[in-house]
Parts: sequence; structure tokens; C-alpha cells
Amino acid sequence: MFCIAAFIVLVVMAAFSARYRRYVGKAWNCVWRRVTFRPCDTTFKQDVKDHILAPIAARRPSLVKPASITLEVLAVLVILTTIWSGYTVVKSAVNLYVYGTCNKQDSASCTLGAEACSIPDETPGFMESLGAFDVIGAFGNEFASLGETFAAIPARFQTWTADDYLPANASYLTEDAANPTAVEVIDPGCTFCRALFQNIEESGFESTHNLTYIAYPIKGTDGYKFPNSMLVTQYLEALRLHPLEGADTPVDWEVLKRIFTEKAETGLPWQDTINSMDAAEATATLTSWLDEFGLSADQIDVVVAEAGSDTVADIIAANKVIVEDKVDTIKIPTIIFDGRRHDGLVSVDGLQ
Amino acid sequence: MKRSTLFRKSTAAPLGTSRQDDFAYLQPGEIYLDAACQSLRPQPVVDALTDYYTSYNACGGRVKYAWGQKVDAQVADTRKAVLGLLGLSARTYATSFTLNTTYGLNLLLQQLPLGRFDRVVTSHIEHNSVFLPTITAARRLGVPRLVLDRAADGALLYEPAQLEKAVVVVNAASNVDGRQLVNLTDLVRDTHARGGIVIIDAAQAMGHGRALLQKTEADAVCFSAHKMYGASLGVVVARHDLLASLELSFVGGGMVQDVREEDFDLVQGDPGALLEPGLQAWGEIIALGRAIQWLGDTRPGGLAPSDHLSALSTRLYDGLAEIPGLTLLNNTPSPVISAYAAAQDAHRLAVFLSHSQIMVRSGYFCAHHYLKEQLDLPPLLRFSLGLHSTASDIDSATQALARLLKGLS
Repeated sequence: MFCIAAFIVLVVMAAFSARYRRYVGKAWNCVWRRVTFRPCDTTFKQDVKDHILAPIAARRPSLVKPASITLEVLAVLVILTTIWSGYTVVKSAVNLYVYGTCNKQDSASCTLGAEACSIPDETPGFMESLGAFDVIGAFGNEFASLGETFAAIPARFQTWTADDYLPANASYLTEDAANPTAVEVIDPGCTFCRALFQNIEESGFESTHNLTYIAYPIKGTDGYKFPNSMLVTQYLEALRLHPLEGADTPVDWEVLKRIFTEKAETGLPWQDTINSMDAAEATATLTSWLDEFGLSADQIDVVVAEAGSDTVADIIAANKVIVEDKVDTIKIPTIIFDGRRHDGLVSVDGLQ
Repeated sequence: MKRSTLFRKSTAAPLGTSRQDDFAYLQPGEIYLDAACQSLRPQPVVDALTDYYTSYNACGGRVKYAWGQKVDAQVADTRKAVLGLLGLSARTYATSFTLNTTYGLNLLLQQLPLGRFDRVVTSHIEHNSVFLPTITAARRLGVPRLVLDRAADGALLYEPAQLEKAVVVVNAASNVDGRQLVNLTDLVRDTHARGGIVIIDAAQAMGHGRALLQKTEADAVCFSAHKMYGASLGVVVARHDLLASLELSFVGGGMVQDVREEDFDLVQGDPGALLEPGLQAWGEIIALGRAIQWLGDTRPGGLAPSDHLSALSTRLYDGLAEIPGLTLLNNTPSPVISAYAAAQDAHRLAVFLSHSQIMVRSGYFCAHHYLKEQLDLPPLLRFSLGLHSTASDIDSATQALARLLKGLS
């Protein structure tokens, strides 16, 4: 153990100082024999240990033994932390490749990936499980998660066709039979979905693609991450079930446009405003918007009733399956177009 | 220079504790106890070497210019001084210079004539410089090899019949415990009486145990200048007839009188040259001459070197013998003392002592067969003294080791 730890430390030190490079070869020889289950045929381990312990021996020889044991323990810790670090780097790299985030549990916390709202992994983390003294669960969940990630690698190579992931009653921002379909997974409360919508408008994406969406309210620790996302989603699905005849733009898209691009009288974006409202205020606001967008009182009643219906609940559940099992994304927004799946916020250039 | 807390003041110092001025370059606190490997060079030897390199740095050997002739003269003087040191005559013996004792022994053993000898004889306590070449020499000569015991006093234990047409190769003093070949004279007489030859490894004897070798009739004596206060150099003193009998396979410039397309004539009247192919270490040879002169002149503490060293050896032996848990290999004091602590690794102890600037050797000292295979001992510590050593050095080292062993136990 000690010579392996010494090798690790020396490799790091040798990167900064030539003084230590001469020892790296010796250390490697010792490590190689160790990892191939042969006794170390050099005195490297002994030499290193003795030189570290020599100052202690000169002052308090009686402390040499406990110091020696401490060195062995430290060596084990160095090896364990190195293995864990290496594992984490590999895992993060694979996660970044597969999911666009190095942290699968909290994708928004990874600065290497595109900006996004994360879909939290409800499985307890490794340290969380260890904290709960669930050692088997800690390792089990960890490796299950890693296996899941590796299993998802082939998905990165596939050609993504938006038509394969369309929700029920898909509505399009614009429709042109000559344009390909694009589908985005959004949470109405997610600020990066707002940013994506603005990029879509700026890039003219809606004129080159038939864009539709899957509304996916992200679950939080208590309810939903954005408290009114489910309510808005229910209204959006109800509006899709009862589209307004003759409207240039589907009313559900009008609602989204308002949330993502317009501001309330307070000067705050509507998205922030709705996120801070209670359910009654949000319902009243949405209802008033329907009136503005040309729905009659009867039509509004139908939509309001439909929003709370089982039909809408079933559609939202079906969409959840598409997002979590078929698209298998952990970042919101996710948009599928041009044969690829783009996790997180896509820039104007990326959309063009 | 910071002194380690391992040191305590010496309680009694019957010997002079001041170091000889010739070793004044040693820094305070530095305690060198590995003279059996390489003795420290006194300042006059260092100066002689420096003088050669800075004043007349030329080749010797058939040169006509002043520097080269000066080199030749000094080299000739050194050859003469070497023979003088052993009380030998240039009419019978020649001096050759090589790389070290091992190299000298190999030059002789690997070029011995085939068919003349019936066996190779050596002893268990030999350094690898003897032990290994005797193995290969016996193989080359196609004869058996006999490994004999040595008595506690260092005498080779043999039956005269075992010396029949034998090549006997033994040390004059052990590099493990300093025991000397006290029956050298008898051994040479008995070997010669049976048509054999005796080659002596005098690496450990030439520094401080030359009395044993005075006027020896051994066929060859090999030793190292660097163990007798000279620069790094090997020396072979061999009988003319032994040199003439060698089947030379290691040849080169400096050994020949004339060279033809398919043959050559060896140099005549200079038998020592037969072991000196190629350029020699002129500066080191000259420095050896100065070292021999210094050994004759030096009076450490007003005493003869052997007396001074004998007193230091006794002090070291007594000091080490008093340390609990330490087992000495020596039965008597010697400038070379080996010991081990059963519960402690010798290499570790050497490193710990080194941190306090106490330099001792650890391991098997190139006597693996004897210490590891035959005695089945763990790696040992070896303390070896030189004329640079002082009573204070010895006290500091023994006290440091005692404190270490006490604390580590």
C-alpha cells in the first residue's frame, strides 16, 4: 500500500519538480510488482518510510512505531481517495458525454455542461447513504447509476427524430409542411426554458422548424421545483385538447410566449411573477389571459374544467414517461432537432 | 551545524578527541564510519591529486616532454613505494595498477594458465571480490572449488593435502569483522610446497594491518588505494613468474613492444605492464604515492597509526558491546565491527543514524554467502574506523545507537 501511495504522491510532485522524477521509476517498479501480487524487489518502500521517519527517530525514537502506523494509514487513505477521485473523474466525464452534465444528481451544478434546470435524482447519493449507514445501498446505487450511464452511451450515437417523441395533441408554434419537426422538453417555470424560447425567437428557429413542446413540471423535494408549473402545464394540455378555432398561433403557445417573453405590470417577467404566486392567483391570471387571447367565457369554463380532468392528468403522465424513459434526459430544457438531442440551453448559433 | 539531540556528551575521553588537521575538511557533527568501504583522504593526498591535475596533467608512458616525464618518474616512485610498503623486492615482484581490488583479482584469476592447477581454494568469509571470481575461475580452469572455514582468529583451516596444485585466494583481513589471516606464512609455505599459488585479497589489510603482509611470499597481493587513504585505484603486487605465466586475453596499448598484422610482442623487462592495458589513472597513482608517504609520516595523537586505531577500535567495541539488544559479530576489537539488532532493521537504523550525520554501512557488505547463506543473519550494521576517526565520533555514534534501540524497542 505504502509504495503505491508513494508512487501517487511522487507522480504529482514530479510534475512540479525534477528532483522527484528519479524516484518515480523506482516507485513504479515497486507498484507494478505489488499490483501483480509479487513482493517488491527493491528497498524503495523501506527507504521512503525510513527517510520520513528519520527526523522523528532523532528526536523521539519511541514515536517511530506509532508514526510508522500512521504513515501506513495515510497511505491507505491516499490510495482510497485517489481511486475515488479517478472514479469520479471517469464517471463525470461519461455523464458529461451522455447527459451533458458531470453531475447526474444535480445537473445544474455542473459548470461544464450547458445551462439548464436539473431534474433531481431521487436516489440517495453515495455519501448520503453512507451517512445513513446503508453501505450496501451506497455502493449499489452508485454502481447502478454508473451502469445506467454506460447503458445510455449508445443513445448518444443514435439519430434523434423529433417525430418519435411527439406528445399527444402536439401544437406547433408555426407549421409548414416543408419544415422538419423539432420538439422541446420544457418546464414553464424554468428560467433556462425562457432563455431558450428567446433564443428560438432571435434565431428564427420557428420559421425553419415545426416546433412543438412537451411540458414537464420538474419535481422538487416538496411538490414541484417551480410551484405553479403543474398548474400551467394542466392549462397548456387543456388548451391543446380544446384549440381555439381560427387562431393564428395556438393559444397554448400564446400562454408560453407571454410567460417566457413578456413582463407583468410590476416590471418583472411573467415567469418570475407566476413562480411567486399562490395557486389561486396563478389560476386567476391564466384565466384572464385566456380571455385576452380570444376565448369566450364558455370556452374558458371548458378549459378550466379540462385542466383538472383525468384526461389531462393522463396526458401529463404519458409525457412524463416520454421524457424520463424515452428521451431519458436529466436536463431541462432539452430540444430534439436535426437528428440530435441537445441537453440544456442552446445558443442562437446552435439553433441556426 | 546543528547537532542532533541523539548526542550526549562523552563521559570519558582517554583518547585525544581532536581530529587530525589533515581531515579538517570534515564539518562539525559529520561522523564517517565507513572507512572499510573507502577511507577519507587526508589533505596531502587531495593536494597531490589536485597538483597533478593543475600542474602537470599529462600522460605517462614513453613520453619525451617534461610533464610526461615527471608523471613517469612519480609513477615509478609509487611502484617502488608500494613494494617498499610490503617489504618486497622489485627483482621478484612487480606492481600493476588497475581499477580496484576486484578488478585486480579478476585480471589474475581469469588469465591463469589452463592445466597447471588442480583446484581453487577459498574461504567462507570472503568478500564477493574473491568469492565470485573464484567461482568463474574454477569453471574456466575446469577444476573443483574448495570453500574452507576460517578460525575465530582468522586462520584458514586446511589440511595440507587440500592445497595440492591449488590456487588459494583468501583475504588477509575480513571486511565483516576484521579478523586477519594469521597463518598466512604457513599457508604460503604449504601451498608452494604442493605446487600451488596464493593470491591475497589485502583490501582491508593494507590500510591498518600491513604488518601481516610484510615480506610475504604470497604470489600476488591485490588491494585498493582508496581503502588506504589514496584516490580510487586498484593495485596488484605479483611475482614475476606468475605474471609471465598468465594466458593474457585482456590486452592493449602499454603492454606491447611491437605489433604486426596478426601478432604482437609483449613489452620486456616490465612485468607489471602485463596487467595494465590502456591508459592508466596517472593522477590516482601519484596520489597513492603521496598516501603511502603520509601513512609513514602521520602520528595521530602522537601515536603510531596502528596504536591509535587499536585504542579507537577497543573503544568502539566496548561501546557497542554495552548496547542492550545489539549482537556483535566480532569477538575482539577491530577497526571493522559488524553488529545487528534482532528486532530492528539495519537499513532503517542506518537511515536514522544518517539523519544525525552518522554514516555507517548496512546490509551484507558483499559477503552474502557468509552472512546471509551460511550464518543466516539479517542485514547488519558495520562500523569501520579510519585515521580520521576520533573518540568523540565513537562515543557519539554508540550513544546515538543506544538511544535509538532503546526508543525503538
